[in-house]
Amino acid sequence: MSNRTLPRLLQSPAVLLLLVWMLIPLSMTLYFSFIRYVLNNLRRPEWTTPSLSNWRGFGNYEFVLNSKDFLFAIQNSLFIVCSILFLTVSLGILIAVLINKTFPGQGIVRVLLISPFFVMPAVNAVLWINMILDPVLGLQGIAVGGINEVISGLRDAPLIGWFFSLWPELTPISFRATQTSAYAVIIMVTWQWTPFAILIFMTSLQSEDQQQKEAAILDGASNWSMFRFLTLPHLGRPIAIVVMIQAIFHLSLYAEIEIVSRGNGNKNLPYLIGEFANNNIGAASATGIFAVILANIVAIFLLRMVGKTLME
Amino acid sequence: MAIVAQTSKYGKTGRTILAWAVGLLFFFPIFWLVLTSFKTDADAVKPEFLFFFTPTLDNYLNMTENYDYWRFAKNSVITSVFATVFGLAIGIPCAYSMAFNPSRSTKDVLMWMLSTKMLPAAAVLYPMTFLTKSLGLFDTHFMVILVLCLINLPIVIWMLFTYFKEIPKEIIEAGQMDGVNTWGEIKEILIPLAWGGIASTALLCFIFCWNEAYWTVRLTTIDASTLSKLIEGNRAPEGLFFGRLSAVSAAAVGPIIVLGWFCQKQLVQGLTFGAVK
Repeated sequence: MSNRTLPRLLQSPAVLLLLVWMLIPLSMTLYFSFIRYVLNNLRRPEWTTPSLSNWRGFGNYEFVLNSKDFLFAIQNSLFIVCSILFLTVSLGILIAVLINKTFPGQGIVRVLLISPFFVMPAVNAVLWINMILDPVLGLQGIAVGGINEVISGLRDAPLIGWFFSLWPELTPISFRATQTSAYAVIIMVTWQWTPFAILIFMTSLQSEDQQQKEAAILDGASNWSMFRFLTLPHLGRPIAIVVMIQAIFHLSLYAEIEIVSRGNGNKNLPYLIGEFANNNIGAASATGIFAVILANIVAIFLLRMVGKTLME
Repeated sequence: MAIVAQTSKYGKTGRTILAWAVGLLFFFPIFWLVLTSFKTDADAVKPEFLFFFTPTLDNYLNMTENYDYWRFAKNSVITSVFATVFGLAIGIPCAYSMAFNPSRSTKDVLMWMLSTKMLPAAAVLYPMTFLTKSLGLFDTHFMVILVLCLINLPIVIWMLFTYFKEIPKEIIEAGQMDGVNTWGEIKEILIPLAWGGIASTALLCFIFCWNEAYWTVRLTTIDASTLSKLIEGNRAPEGLFFGRLSAVSAAAVGPIIVLGWFCQKQLVQGLTFGAVK
């Protein structure tokens, strides 16, 4: 065999599989997005099977664009992704800088910090929404109840009682409403992905130029200016990579939304597609194409940012 | 270094305390899950038993009865193991030829593979359901393995590629001089040399397969359902079953967290495609 065929041959299973995996379902989605295709429709049974005679042109796209859920889902997707990115990156930098210097038990703290990343999304959501955030039975409810009890006890105390009687009774927050459940999702995903950011920033911090830092100390640089002008620029590339990888993962966030917000209106794009896919396949497919376009915009933007670094 | 040593002793103690506090805070939910798993369902929601209670193993002993845990766990193990094995079997030759016989298109192929990860799964939800159902593969182990293998293949190839790139080309070429064929090169030279890299790739791929929660939920009903599906199906216990749900959740994530501890260093290289070292 020549020098060129063999490499191709070795690569071909992977390339072919991924090609099939990508092209076939996606072209079906594209096709379905242009036809009327509804799973349950007694009046128009011909729409329940995919066929070119049910051609609808851009009708599904119009339908999706006009539904108020769609705009909300896009806004909500972006809100959730951007909040998570902001929180994980800033928390990640702070904590990475904090634990980068050696201190007693550094290894154990590292292990404690990385653990949340390995929790499966379904368990993450079930754990947070029930055992921790539940307004009555979860830790939140119990904690708020406890604080209220202490405060009401202190109201009867002599001398300082008047002060505590000014305090309002605390009410626990229900995280199952439309807006608050988006916050719950942000909290739990941030908890899971901050460790990832920490780990990457820490790895990167270890390659920071120590001599440069010592020189800066000799010049009388403050801690803040060292962080601002040495550490932060050094973290530029890892930050870009953390943002890219997380954007990929969180744009298709699903399990958390499904578990926390089923039926309460807190939708993102994948969830909306899932809802449409129960019946209106045409609309689900059109939404899917929008999701692909959105992911591509984000991906092109991000790959421009970090693509070169990956290839070095 | 003398200057660094001058930092005040209080500053160092404060930093240590803060670092420990942050570490414990992040671990707390997992600790809480495990703690709750040792409480009875009734105790789990009572404020007076928050930290002090009579521990019980019942939740773990009754996992089969309550949730049929082992069946789902078995499915998780089978699908994750086979998906990882197939991923490596396809990925190793591919990464090998990319690392040692790169052509002009290699970089583009690698980038394209990465871009398949960016395709939102939900966009192809219905076609996938439609295809698997019409091929009779819905809710089968085969389908779950295939999907898990394919969604992790780009990461597997990228990781292996970054490890293989570090191996000096001369070693492989020396093998070629000795007349070893390609299969021999991979088996006798590459795999022993890159053993560590391959093992951590496998570990990470296994973890991702285990935790996958979109296709495993959407493409199965009973027969091939994994632990993700089990937990997802019991999402809202309304406080009645906090104890037993915690036990089954802890059993679902425990092994993976321990595995994860062993590969945290490789995780960085794997997930950043070697760009952060």
